[in-house]
Amino acid sequence: MMSYTYSLFSRMCLRNGRRTIITAATKDVPDTNIPWFRISESNPAELDENCLTRIYTIPSDITASLMSNMTLELRKQTEVFRELGILVRRPSVEIISYLEQTDFTKSINKYILYGIQGAGKTTSLLQLIHYGIVKRYFVLHLPWVQTWFRYPRDAVVSPLEPDKIDLPESATKWLKYIKEINKVALSQLDLKTTKEYTWSQREITKSGESLSNLIEFGIQRNKFACGVINALVDELKMASTAAKCRTLVIIDGFNAFTSSITHVKDENHAYVPPERISITSTFLSSVDYNWCNGAAILTVDKKANKDRKDSDYPTYLLGKKGFELLDPFLPICVENYSLDEFKTILEYYKDRKWIKNISDKGQRELELLSNKNPYQLWALCKPLY
Amino acid sequence: MFIGRKFNSLILSSLRCNLENSFQFYSVFPPNYIKPIYKKDEQEALYQEETELKQFSHSPVQPAKTNNTCSEFHDELIRKFTNYIMRKGDKKMARKILDETFENIKIKKLNEYYNTPPEYRENIILDPKVIFYQAVENCTPVLELQKISRGGIAYQVPIPMNENRAQFLSMNWIIRTAQNKGNAEKLSDVLAKEIIDAAKNQGRVIKKKYDLHKQCEANRAYAHYRWL
Repeated sequence: MMSYTYSLFSRMCLRNGRRTIITAATKDVPDTNIPWFRISESNPAELDENCLTRIYTIPSDITASLMSNMTLELRKQTEVFRELGILVRRPSVEIISYLEQTDFTKSINKYILYGIQGAGKTTSLLQLIHYGIVKRYFVLHLPWVQTWFRYPRDAVVSPLEPDKIDLPESATKWLKYIKEINKVALSQLDLKTTKEYTWSQREITKSGESLSNLIEFGIQRNKFACGVINALVDELKMASTAAKCRTLVIIDGFNAFTSSITHVKDENHAYVPPERISITSTFLSSVDYNWCNGAAILTVDKKANKDRKDSDYPTYLLGKKGFELLDPFLPICVENYSLDEFKTILEYYKDRKWIKNISDKGQRELELLSNKNPYQLWALCKPLY
Repeated sequence: MFIGRKFNSLILSSLRCNLENSFQFYSVFPPNYIKPIYKKDEQEALYQEETELKQFSHSPVQPAKTNNTCSEFHDELIRKFTNYIMRKGDKKMARKILDETFENIKIKKLNEYYNTPPEYRENIILDPKVIFYQAVENCTPVLELQKISRGGIAYQVPIPMNENRAQFLSMNWIIRTAQNKGNAEKLSDVLAKEIIDAAKNQGRVIKKKYDLHKQCEANRAYAHYRWL
């Protein structure tokens, strides 16, 4: 049965799917005004091995849409520096090169970013989101899963599935964010629902309605926001399988879904496992192998779960259940800065007037104190000038 | 460890205060031990003046303290200020507050930098350390009032003070004024505001200094009680 569906999928996809090939386009002569640590290129698809250890700037309109869901420190940095500059690093360039070469008729590939805390996993994701937006993917970006489970504003029993718990407020917020970052994709791709969704006796979403209407309904009707997320992911999976669009699932802190406990309480005031929260099954199904024309980029982090804190490696952090769900996946390590990257980032801080007079000895000291860890370096540079 | 703490808290303090018995604690090191010179540039300066070096060459040296470091980020005045912020020996917290303060100063100044037209930008000082030094210097008072009783009446007599005391007052005023705000705002935020204001010769700390000077001026008539 499985092989039959798979062959059906591939036949469907072959008709429309085109494999993109990297063209070795000749680079323009670099501007003399641009300092050595920057690149004038702002299209992430064009960034390749030559651009490593240099900084590229994300355009301000995309920064504005991403701003609300970036980490606190990154948001602060963007406000202070008046731009969002990201160091081009190996993991993101590697994933982009894989995405360019992927055979999209096959079932989706899963990439897992892992690494120690503060190594730049979330920041690497920003570049991939930008890539997705530029390449007209439908980007399902879930920023830091733990915010749903750790600080639940309101947990209510789901009206659609009585044994599960909904988090309507976070869900509405997320739908707004998804609408914001996929503004262009939603208007251009013309995606339609394929089946009828009955929310209550009066509220029905008919088949053939556009996805933006579905999202709008979720934002308006707070109560069914989680159900809308479920429907949206299903529809996107179906649309991608039918080669109408391509979907990029980006989830930060994926191992929160496979953890054993959350901070959400049920009606008996007991903590519930993530399986009992309605969005968990949705997003677990979004990384399943049964669809194509997409990719899933996930990160695993020690901070994202409560019970596993001993190692940074994905096999341990995902647990047996998560590993079996995701297998096979491609683990990609995000490491601390190399020496060149370290120098570049200090130069960038100097350019943005964050630090100024630090001698070579001081740089050496910073290097040793921070162990070239991006977050540590940022924290150490805060009081200095 | 328990006994040691008990000794420090109960016995040691009483011993130190009890000067009538003429019992006093001395340093572990005799007075001929010189203080260590831990800054690298100071050491190099020492090598250039050979006479001083000869003086030090055969004298024993005290071991360096834990907060003495040759790092270029170390600064004597900032170290002192950290100690004044510190409460109950929580130096980690004090250092964190000061780091956040400097960060806030930088952010505020950078905002100011980007909001001014490009031709005036060069005049803006972005270095928090320079701003801090300026603030401390601006807040330093010259005179203070001391209560002296003559003929059964206590007079507020203006007297000059030494540099250390003046510096301490200026730094302590900055901290106290920032703490006055209460818990509504973070200390690091208020401290940043106060320091920036003081560096511009404005704000509440500067006002406090001027008030003190005014009072000293008013009590000028009692000045001779200092020596009479």
